[in-house]
Amino acid sequence: MAGYVLKRLLSIALTMAVMSVLIFWITQVMPGNVAYMILGDFASPQDVATLEAKLGLNDPAYVQYLRWATGLLQGDLGRSLVMDRPIAPVLWDAVGKSAILAGISIGLVALLGISLGVYAGVRHGRISDHIVSVATYINIAIPEFLWAIVIVMLFAGYLNWFPATGYSDLSSGFASWARHLILPVFTLVTGLIAHISRLTRSSMIDTMQTQYVRAARARGLPEKLVIRRHALPNALLPTITILAIDVGIMMGGIVVVETIFSYPGLGRLLMFAIQNMDVPLLQACMMVITFVYAAANLIADLLYAFLNPKVRYGRSSSE
Amino acid sequence: MTDHVLKVEDLSVSFPQSGGRARILHNVDFALERGTVLGIVGESGSGKSTAALAVLGLLDNGGSIDSGRVVIDGEDLYAKSAEERRQLRGGKISIVFQDPFTTLNPAIRVGRQIAEPLVMHRGMTEAEARAETLRLLKEVGIPDPERMAASYPHQLSGGMKQRALIASALACDPDVLILDEPTTALDVTIEAQILDLLDSLRITRSLSMLFISHNLGVVSRICDEICVLYAGRVVEYGKSASILTEPRHPYTKGLLASLPKMSRERHRLQPIPGRLPDVRKPLSGCVFAPRCHFAEPRCQTTPPAITPIGEDVAAACWRASELARTPWRIESSETIPRRVDAGDGKPIVVARDVERTFEAGGAMDGISFSLDGWVPRVSFGRKVVRAVDKVSLTIHEGEIVGLVGESGSGKTTLGRCLIDLISPTSGEVAIDGAQLLNASRSEKRDLLKRAQIIFQNPDSSLNPRKSIGETLERPLELVGLGREERQRRVAELLDLVRLDASYAERYPHQMSGGEKQRVGIARALSTNPRFIVCDEAVSALDVSVQASILNLLLDLREQFKLAYLFITHDLSVVSYIADRICVMRNGTIVEVGSTEAIIDRPQHPYTKALLAAVPKVPELRANLDR
Repeated sequence: MAGYVLKRLLSIALTMAVMSVLIFWITQVMPGNVAYMILGDFASPQDVATLEAKLGLNDPAYVQYLRWATGLLQGDLGRSLVMDRPIAPVLWDAVGKSAILAGISIGLVALLGISLGVYAGVRHGRISDHIVSVATYINIAIPEFLWAIVIVMLFAGYLNWFPATGYSDLSSGFASWARHLILPVFTLVTGLIAHISRLTRSSMIDTMQTQYVRAARARGLPEKLVIRRHALPNALLPTITILAIDVGIMMGGIVVVETIFSYPGLGRLLMFAIQNMDVPLLQACMMVITFVYAAANLIADLLYAFLNPKVRYGRSSSE
Repeated sequence: MTDHVLKVEDLSVSFPQSGGRARILHNVDFALERGTVLGIVGESGSGKSTAALAVLGLLDNGGSIDSGRVVIDGEDLYAKSAEERRQLRGGKISIVFQDPFTTLNPAIRVGRQIAEPLVMHRGMTEAEARAETLRLLKEVGIPDPERMAASYPHQLSGGMKQRALIASALACDPDVLILDEPTTALDVTIEAQILDLLDSLRITRSLSMLFISHNLGVVSRICDEICVLYAGRVVEYGKSASILTEPRHPYTKGLLASLPKMSRERHRLQPIPGRLPDVRKPLSGCVFAPRCHFAEPRCQTTPPAITPIGEDVAAACWRASELARTPWRIESSETIPRRVDAGDGKPIVVARDVERTFEAGGAMDGISFSLDGWVPRVSFGRKVVRAVDKVSLTIHEGEIVGLVGESGSGKTTLGRCLIDLISPTSGEVAIDGAQLLNASRSEKRDLLKRAQIIFQNPDSSLNPRKSIGETLERPLELVGLGREERQRRVAELLDLVRLDASYAERYPHQMSGGEKQRVGIARALSTNPRFIVCDEAVSALDVSVQASILNLLLDLREQFKLAYLFITHDLSVVSYIADRICVMRNGTIVEVGSTEAIIDRPQHPYTKALLAAVPKVPELRANLDR
């Protein structure tokens, strides 16, 4: 098991290294001159040249990359060009707020998606299965930005139950904090809950047909125990892998949702960096997103290994 | 009065099917005497597994009891509530399923799974159950019960798993133990060990067993009584020794006549023509009449009831008593000679020092970590498995070489290496005198026309979306035949494998397993090969169908002077069809010899063990009389 964890960590380090090169390269080839962006379109060529020299923009690309990458490794995320201050405090604040949003969302997706899927899968072919199926199909078909607009109009505009935008700190009261989160979380999770429940349902149906579930029934186990002990841990294996991929989808969703709800998180910071050509800020945001995705996959792999002894103990067989 | 621990009376079971319900069991009657073994015998579609599940009270997928009773120890199973039936399962009635590889939950330690009935039915605590589990594992002959109980299923071999499942089924000292093809998924030497175990258990525990099997050899070895099922009906029922040596029902006669036996002489097998009746169609008369050549007019109109014939057997056939000693077909005294002149024939395939290794796992599996105290150690290099280890083999024109071995022996890999489906890691293969492995693309293509393969499973080796005609035309297209020529050739090929030309229009799902395998053979013949690898080509087929395919393969060999490499795990089949036998183990050939020599005078201890392990069917009394 220790070897397995080490291997996964090694592959994450590799992924991050490759991604850092890609991120650096993509942000470098973006159109627009950074110095002009900072100094304004009417800056004198002399000022531009001075600034370029100061920022090291004239160095060869690999020197710039190495300078940036060494900084990252030492925990130095660089300075934002537009805000003209260190990126780290701004970024960590945004990451913290997004983590609340995404953490609650992915938790709900896992909890509700899996529960609905198991419920429908066990009742395969009955009315309750069909109702869940139709509801999930509808949810999968509706894109999240449409959801966002509809519920903002309904709950924030027409009913005026929840605030349409913004973020309230936990220190200013739990109720206010929660009221600000409900609409963005709802928008983020609906499609993904449907996605996960569809997947869990079909894998549950397959598992309930396996020979070992039949054998468990033949031993006289009550159906509840058959489902909980024999079917569920095996049925969850594909779900876990997909949940990690859904974390990636959610990263994309966060950019949309935070923009619509003016939620001061990572997604909005990323949009700000793109709009203002703030290259160091953009790079830092993208590295964080890459890391979150890689970490989610690591957690999924470990969970998978926990549920699947073949991975945990290797394929050594006494045959 | 005899003490029947299980009685099945007039049992009919049906399952939902598109457009109504299909009846799978029709008024089935049988009874199991306490302390004896009753075999339920039949081919696929006979309803034998449904009978097992009905006795267990575990009909799933919408199956329901239409009539009849299942009485266990005097109590009617289906008069009870579903909850009461559940409490009987794993306690009073338990089952061992066919495939130990899929019957154990991969995510739960074996010991815990075995202990489940102990906790459930005998109310033990986890600790008590653990102690009892170890005792049970010891009883079924597991050398290291502690280690076994702590293992996960993937860490154990098939035989070990099946022992563990038997232990679990015995946990609550069942009144009836059902064994549903318990050895079918296992190698022959393991099968023998499991049968030995069951034999000793039935004595020490005076077990009553319901033994379900398609294998007459296994049945004859372990069963006191036999119930032969055909299309969901009992056609013959009685003492095992009597039925197997003197079958009264034509179906049983046909089944026994289809069986290839391990003997020096080779007579033509006598398969049962036709196929199982469609369960959806109503039927008048005897269910076997359409395939029976003893059938009379009354057989077509009135179904015979099962009636006693003599003291210890009952059969459902109008002519059972008059046919008592009549064999299925008069066996021609002519034997099919084996080719012993192999040395003189022209060599078709010459393999020299063929070796094939496999590396385990993906890219990251090449790196392994270990902890040395707290210091991590990294090592590189993958695990290498040597599937075929420097094997040399020559196959001559018109010769059938049997390649036997157990799972993992490398026989399939070797077969594929000979036609470059898997490229050998090193060594040489020559076909018709020309080197295959380092030939140019066009040369190779030309050579491979002369070497073809027939796969084990006709269901997965035919494209379900292509008609048979399209499947057969494809190789002809590749060798550049025109459209009309191709169609003519397809008709020719279908005729060669004794299928009607109209089959070109059919799709695989419209055909039976035997017919599909004939198409597989036709496809292999399409390029006029000199050599065909038959990779377990008859293993997935029922005995009666298998016999007709074996006959066909022998006929085609005569007609085209074909050479076969006949790969199989079934020693009876290989000793029937092969001129020469190679015994393979752990990637090497341990013994080669003429079929006669291998059967009569095996030299290598492994060959001896294999031959001793094969369960044999007794000789028919009619044959002994002659």
